[in-house]
Amino acid sequence: MGKIMKSGKVVLLLGGRFAGRKAIVVKTYDDGTSEKPYGHALVVGIERYPRKVTKSMAKTKIAKRSKIKPFVKVMNYNHLFPTRYSVDVQFDKNLLNKDAIKDPIKKKKVKFSCRQRLEEKYKTGKSRWFFTRLRF
Amino acid sequence: MSASQKKQKKAIESINSRLALVMKSGKYCLGYRQTLRTLRSGKSKLVIIASNTPPLRKSEIEYYAMLARIGVHHYTGTNIELGTACGKYFRVCTLSITDPGDSDILRNMAGSEAAAPQS
Repeated sequence: MGKIMKSGKVVLLLGGRFAGRKAIVVKTYDDGTSEKPYGHALVVGIERYPRKVTKSMAKTKIAKRSKIKPFVKVMNYNHLFPTRYSVDVQFDKNLLNKDAIKDPIKKKKVKFSCRQRLEEKYKTGKSRWFFTRLRF
Repeated sequence: MSASQKKQKKAIESINSRLALVMKSGKYCLGYRQTLRTLRSGKSKLVIIASNTPPLRKSEIEYYAMLARIGVHHYTGTNIELGTACGKYFRVCTLSITDPGDSDILRNMAGSEAAAPQS
């Protein structure tokens, strides 16, 4: 009898522009807030997955193909599908919060810092499932 | 009736009677949306799925229950029958028991269904 939505969990986005993308739950708001009276979560996901890379490619080519474009979003639980995977990425907590998402300049900063963390994680080769595109 | 049929009939009756007790004395949630909500929050103790739920929805609920380590019982009967078993005049495809009250449904169902959610 455990709670499913926890930070660090990988979820799939079920609708919207980023439908089918994988995301990591950063912060959960189980009981909602006054503005959003439903369970929702702050997620960081991958908008553009890194391209496939083989050993025979040049280093510069690999570097170019390993770029990740992230997105940060606040999503209703109903529009997320939890998976059994979880990814341990240390996002910059003071940067990443709900207000930062509303302000476009802050949002850019947040996305950049998320991008760095995600690319770091990708380069270590762990959590490979998270960085592959879900084919459907 | 053959022996296995008799046994099945007895099993069905016992589930129905236990469900009736839960309806009277416990807390439950009827319906897909509410069961998902209870599954997410971990408040659910047992999830019952009717036999004619669409397979995609069935798999989805089983997956959620696997994540939350909650037992799933596949009710032998359609949503119409499950609704009747709950004493309601509408169909019920999925139901979630949050508090069994005086019923021993959890002990009996969870024991036999411990294998099922993992599959």
